[in-house]
Amino acid sequence: MAQMSTVETSGGTRGPALPAWLKSGLLTIVAVLIVMGVWQVAAIAFDVPVWLVPKPSDFMARFVSDFPLLLHHAFETSKTLLMGFALGVLIAVPLAFAITSFGALERGLFPVIVFLNIMPKTVIGPILIVWFGIGPLVAVLIVFLMSFFPVLVDSMSGFRAVDPRLYYITRSMGASPAQTFFRIRLPASMDHIFAGMKIGVVKAVEGVIIAEFIASSAGLGYLIMRASGFMDMTLMFSGLIMAALVALVFNSGMSIAEVVLMPWARRSQ
Amino acid sequence: MDPQKNQGTGASIVARDITKIYGTGPDAFHALGPIDLDIKPGEFVSLIGPSGCGKSTTMLLVSGLEPISQGHVEIDGKPLTKPISEIGIVFQDHLLLDFRTAIQNVMLQQEIRKLDKADMRSRADALFEQLDLVGAEDKYPWQLSGGMRQRVSIARALVHDPSMLIMDEPFGALDAISRTQIRHDLEMLWLAKRKTVLFITHSIEEAVGLSDRVLVMSKSPGRIVEEISIDLPRPRPAHLGEYPEFAVYAKKIYTIFEKLGVYNF
Repeated sequence: MAQMSTVETSGGTRGPALPAWLKSGLLTIVAVLIVMGVWQVAAIAFDVPVWLVPKPSDFMARFVSDFPLLLHHAFETSKTLLMGFALGVLIAVPLAFAITSFGALERGLFPVIVFLNIMPKTVIGPILIVWFGIGPLVAVLIVFLMSFFPVLVDSMSGFRAVDPRLYYITRSMGASPAQTFFRIRLPASMDHIFAGMKIGVVKAVEGVIIAEFIASSAGLGYLIMRASGFMDMTLMFSGLIMAALVALVFNSGMSIAEVVLMPWARRSQ
Repeated sequence: MDPQKNQGTGASIVARDITKIYGTGPDAFHALGPIDLDIKPGEFVSLIGPSGCGKSTTMLLVSGLEPISQGHVEIDGKPLTKPISEIGIVFQDHLLLDFRTAIQNVMLQQEIRKLDKADMRSRADALFEQLDLVGAEDKYPWQLSGGMRQRVSIARALVHDPSMLIMDEPFGALDAISRTQIRHDLEMLWLAKRKTVLFITHSIEEAVGLSDRVLVMSKSPGRIVEEISIDLPRPRPAHLGEYPEFAVYAKKIYTIFEKLGVYNF
């Protein structure tokens, strides 16, 4: 450790130091390799059958051989996730604005929203299946419900967080309601909205697999469920890895979007 | 240094019997007045008084930002019916937009008022120079010190060349050294531009240090109990406390507050 920090502080003398993200990325890979290695050795040493707990070599080989299949379902899952999440954001943000703008709406609607929020969303699945039949649409709607509430709640606190005295200043400028919304309220609420969207994406990733378990005919959740029916353990494990990769892509996508869309939020270290 | 000399750019403010009552019925709260104001074009007037006496309310009423319960206001001889646009406003909190850089915060005036961009940019640059903000243009508010944020806020209030400036305890959140410096810079700006300034403060030093006239207000519902003309040469020194004339004015204001039983201004 002492050696590493010396390299870091002395900078150029021993060649360029690795950037922090690369260093932590490498550490993660090393940690994963160690876990996999221990797993592999233990599975061989105790002679665990593949149909019970597959070795990393088994499911990684399956991951490679069935990659096109996995990719196809990952794509379906991503599509469902993206549609449900986008629908959630597109409805939650304007609704949050409406609720915070009209007191009557808040008093009337908010209890309903709180009730819907605490209700476990997946229980709506069977009802949605009756209404819409088994298919990606039901999964989209479940993802929508999962991601909608965190975005709504955080957007509301964002719209409320704007200092009302700022409106005195904009009124003195003769700002129209549209100018006030697009130049002040919306960007000023962006960090709250993004905080909600980050939670929403996590919920959406969680929701999409469950939704596909119960109500879809495509996607990684569906693939894993079908593999379970055949006791196809290696496919289930490789599906799990693909699901983790999809989650990783969406979470990093959010972080990148945050940096691109809110350059002002990049606080110094 | 007579404010009368350089007039033409500042607005006159006349208020008669203005009163503000918030709410109705048994919950109604009589916040202010009735008070009268006669502010000449280009005059620097301070309102000083205890917390909650209606100083800020006065400011909002004469700028048309809050409706007046009773009485009426005339700006440059014209009755006030809607928020004045020929105005710059500075609050105790800088109220800058986090998502805009210093210069973008100032240029918000240009964007919303749809004024000429190049012209406004050069005015903003000049103000940044006068307010010692050169180099801060492209910084976000969180990258600036409290004093600098407030300077940007002042630049935003002046960039569109308003005829009046209303400031609600603009230096209240700053440390003593920043206060003295920014007070001096504000005085220099005012001497150069001669806008009408309505300045609200808790600080006797600021009121005497900056104003042509100090209006002393009573406890809520606020009334104007005394009017003191400050006849000191300009620009006034930073360390006012050392000057006997300052002490005389300060004593006068303290005495009024003591008579009113006010110690929390």
